Amino acid sequence: MITTNQKTIKRLVTVLAAALALFAFTEQAQAQQILLTGPLAGAPAVRKLRLHRQGRFEIAPAISFTLLDEYQRTILLGARLNYNFTDWLAFGAWGALGSVIRIPTYLTDQVQSVNAARRTTDPGEPPTTLDRRLTDVNLGPQFKNQLGGIDWVVAPQLTAVPFRGKLALFQSIYLDTDLYFFGGPAFVGLKERKNCDVCGGSFDMTSRVAIAPTFGLGFTFYINKWSAIGAEYRGLPFSWNTGGFDTAGGGKDKKFPDNKITNDDRQFNFNQLLTVTYNIYLPFQYRVSE
Amino acid sequence: MKSSPIGLLVAVALGIFPAQSWAAGKAQAAGKAAKAKDSKAAADAAPAATVDADAPAGDAAAGGDAAAADTPDDSGGDAAGGSGLDDICKIDPAACPNLDMDKEAARPLKEQIFAVQQAFALRVRRFEIEPYWSVSMNDQFVGHPAPDLALNYYITNVLAIGVNGNYYAPCNVDKAFNGQVRRAARVAVPLTEYQWGGALNFTYVPAYGKFAGFGDFIFHYDAYVVGGVGAISVRPIPVIDPNNRNFAFEPKLAFNVGIGLRIFFNRWFAATLEVRDYIFNDKLENLKVAPVAADAANKATWYGDNSLTNNVQAQVGASFFLPFSFDYRLPK
Repeated sequence: MITTNQKTIKRLVTVLAAALALFAFTEQAQAQQILLTGPLAGAPAVRKLRLHRQGRFEIAPAISFTLLDEYQRTILLGARLNYNFTDWLAFGAWGALGSVIRIPTYLTDQVQSVNAARRTTDPGEPPTTLDRRLTDVNLGPQFKNQLGGIDWVVAPQLTAVPFRGKLALFQSIYLDTDLYFFGGPAFVGLKERKNCDVCGGSFDMTSRVAIAPTFGLGFTFYINKWSAIGAEYRGLPFSWNTGGFDTAGGGKDKKFPDNKITNDDRQFNFNQLLTVTYNIYLPFQYRVSE
Repeated sequence: MKSSPIGLLVAVALGIFPAQSWAAGKAQAAGKAAKAKDSKAAADAAPAATVDADAPAGDAAAGGDAAAADTPDDSGGDAAGGSGLDDICKIDPAACPNLDMDKEAARPLKEQIFAVQQAFALRVRRFEIEPYWSVSMNDQFVGHPAPDLALNYYITNVLAIGVNGNYYAPCNVDKAFNGQVRRAARVAVPLTEYQWGGALNFTYVPAYGKFAGFGDFIFHYDAYVVGGVGAISVRPIPVIDPNNRNFAFEPKLAFNVGIGLRIFFNRWFAATLEVRDYIFNDKLENLKVAPVAADAANKATWYGDNSLTNNVQAQVGASFFLPFSFDYRLPK
């Protein structure tokens, strides 16, 4: 007579056997990989590799575009300077100026359009209409003049290049490529609306430096021995007041407006940038691995 | 207990199929297995063939390197060949080849030589099933994350026809930022949520490459462009007059264009990264509310401007190619 325990054990053994069979077959399925012995054992995956980075400086003029902007897009003009200790590790910095090109979004245009219409109806100070009184703290005469902006960024960063390869385009153009990851601290020069306790009609701006982590990844496409085109994605998260609005500081958990502009009105933004670079490598000649 | 053997069989069957998928050129695999047999490195011809790079050349030739076996031996091939031709001519003079070698040499060669031979993963005549997850990249007001599925069939190695579908309905996110702007500036911007999208697409794969990871292992990837036409079902989120307005989803004609990267882990499984722009003509909520209550409740007054909308999505997914295995047409 078979007891419940024995049944359970039998089932368990059957399941284990099935699992073992499954794993055993999967193991065999992958064993088509050729295991090398002899002089090739332990040899590098790639021989005669063109070492585009090792021992070379990289000067890369860069243009960066912000993504998912609420009120204005910023195009940052800058450059990256790296020294590549090895083909897979570099140290350098990225710097850019963001105060030159700023493009308002559709939302900014809409807000300013409504704001201008309200001020045409009620041009006086202090305001008398309901809309103007309710937005007195938040909307100045020119909305885009109160928007927060990135003036400049300097980011010392470490770059790791774990992936190195080549690319065939239309089976006729061949490029060496690499995929790299980078990270470091960023010093961001910001322009923001100045804090104020009595804010009606006060829309002065102030500058500050935010320190934030920055990180991302990028591709490099080597055109010739001394130059390449790069494309990279960068995250630059920090808190700032992008609209110059009073959105927090009062009520429960300081999550409601308090008619003041304070540090509480800064909101966490995961700022994102896409960057295109033209990289120049010095010295012009690269080395070749064994 | 009766079901246990069936479960065991299913498990074994599941195990066997991936094993076949690794058929990296059957001739080559067979050759390797034979070589393994000779060298006693894998006595029972297990798929895990061990190549002894120290082995003599003769062993390699006998080992069944398909390409080597097909190549005439330069050292003795001519003599042997000449002897063979003489024999044929003696037996049957009519069958004796009578070629003008100068004329033959002057003939233009039209042989097509591919720069990349025996690419790691062939796509031609294979289906690609691609589940993926997408997030919107350019809508700061409403997030449109969605689970999605694409199915492609590769007519050639670089061209595929397929369909894809996105299911946005349960995942639209009206961001807190919208409420803050409405409260701070007393300005509302029209918002749109999506229900589903579907398209017929063509995919072209112009770029193919490989990466050495940490100088140790090699993986392959390709880059593709995709474009198509389909529909997307959308509706405005009522923010101007939510008391009266209740919009229904309506499908709109949508075009799409995108670029993607596919990283192969083996010959039938890959990870995909894609950016796709779905372009459609969106009907926005009317920013003005009719002053008379009866008019405000009239659906005809709810819609405002039309806007050409670009819904740019980042898509991350996995690709499964069927059938799992394939044969190369030509030897390497």
